[in-house]
Amino acid sequence: MEGVLYELTNSLYINLIREERYLMLIRGLRVTLEVTLYSVLLGVIIGLITAVIRITEPKGLVRLATAYVEVVRGTPVVVQMVIIYYAILGGSNLPKVLIASIAFGINSGAYVSELIRAGIQAVPRGQMEAARSLGLTWTQAMRFVIVPQAIKNILPALVNEAIVLIKETAVVGYIALDDLTRAGNIIRGRTFDAYTPFLLVALVYLYTTTTLSIFAGKLERRLRESD
Amino acid sequence: MIDVIDLYKSFGELEVLRGVSTHVGRSQVVCVIGASGSGKSTFLRCLNLLEIPDRGRITIDGVELMEHRKQINKLRRKMGMVFQQFNLFPNMTARSNVALGPSQALGMSRADASARAEALLSKVGLADKVDEFPNRLSGGQKQRVAIARALAMGPDIMLFDEPTSALDPEMVGEVLQVIKQLAQDGMTMIIVTHEMGFAREVADRVLFMDQGVIAEDAPPERIFRSPEKERTREFLSKVL
Ligand SMILES: Nc1ncnc2c1ncn2[C@@H]1O[C@H](COP(=O)(O)OP(=O)(O)O)[C@@H](O)[C@H]1O
Ligand SMILES: [Mg+2]
Repeated sequence: MEGVLYELTNSLYINLIREERYLMLIRGLRVTLEVTLYSVLLGVIIGLITAVIRITEPKGLVRLATAYVEVVRGTPVVVQMVIIYYAILGGSNLPKVLIASIAFGINSGAYVSELIRAGIQAVPRGQMEAARSLGLTWTQAMRFVIVPQAIKNILPALVNEAIVLIKETAVVGYIALDDLTRAGNIIRGRTFDAYTPFLLVALVYLYTTTTLSIFAGKLERRLRESD
Repeated sequence: MIDVIDLYKSFGELEVLRGVSTHVGRSQVVCVIGASGSGKSTFLRCLNLLEIPDRGRITIDGVELMEHRKQINKLRRKMGMVFQQFNLFPNMTARSNVALGPSQALGMSRADASARAEALLSKVGLADKVDEFPNRLSGGQKQRVAIARALAMGPDIMLFDEPTSALDPEMVGEVLQVIKQLAQDGMTMIIVTHEMGFAREVADRVLFMDQGVIAEDAPPERIFRSPEKERTREFLSKVL
């Protein structure tokens, strides 16, 4: 028993305290959260534009929007990111955090556009009909009646999208960005400890996603109450 | 006031309206009865172009609706619609539900629209509910807000699609009372209903719809006492 306890504290000491390695994890978490935040923001912007195109169906753009969604959903995000990094933005002097955010933002936009579309379609048809029967234009009906209700459907789903991104961005190490996962990997390389660093990394991820998940639940309840 | 000539409407293979023609004069109250699926809602929805008829003409005070599709928003303001499921906007108070049309479609100032909303909500007996959200209202109260909302546009004609069918029995009366008041005020109305007693009381004419056509069109005392068509008799014997 004592031996196990000693081993545990020892490996925690080596992987966390020595050479202030916990700082690497903190810096890594920061990068992970930054990439997630920027990706969500960009994803919402792209998703909104895409959703509007797919709903209003202006000539010429619909195919482009559909193709975008298909390409993004049909290929792994890590492949998309590496292509964007090396083939498209690699020559630019943009910081890697930004390049990763652009890649994940483009990726996330496709999913967000689906969330937005679903959120709008979940508003009962009678709402649009009632608004139009008053003589409101389609745009007015969307603005005052449909979108405010759709936002309630969409917001909790967006928080969930952020949770997904926190985990999915674990591959940004492919473009040598030191996020939480890569920090764990670097510690592994230094301490020759196969799994303790990742155990710690997993705990940090879990803590972050659980916090957000609780927030999403609360948000959803609040929004539903005011219905 | 409103003329309907030979209206046709299909959904895919299903022919729902097969040549509907009628005329409703100013201040007339017309009740539409008929079995479920006979096309009553579709007929009503065609009148304000929530459904686009395949064929036929609808004219309001001589203005041909389908030729003025571009001005449809303007034309719809002249027609109030009340739905079976109320379709109140859950994100707005009763006041805002009623004020939305006047402020957005009529360009009324916020204060004026709000004052009109209050006046109309008082008229339907909901002066004390102006700032409630729909989820805090009973079915009967919701439907009265919906009626006030339609009236807020100052319509020339009101269309009701089974306004009491989604209500608990004890709330039917309060809604019918409001509609009766409108009839006394001289509002032109087309009312799809299953409330035969109500139809008998307020209607100038009753239309019996059957399989996409108006099978019988007569004053209520005639249609309820001595219907001409066998189908009408059959239907009435089931519901009365
Ligand atoms: N949007 C629609 N798409 C397809 N079928 C429809 C649609 N609206 C109505 N119908 C069909 O048309 C028929 C008549 O419907 P409706 O006008 O609602 O009848 P009623 O109001 O008399 O019960 C029904 O069989 C219904 O299923
Ligand atoms: Mg119906």
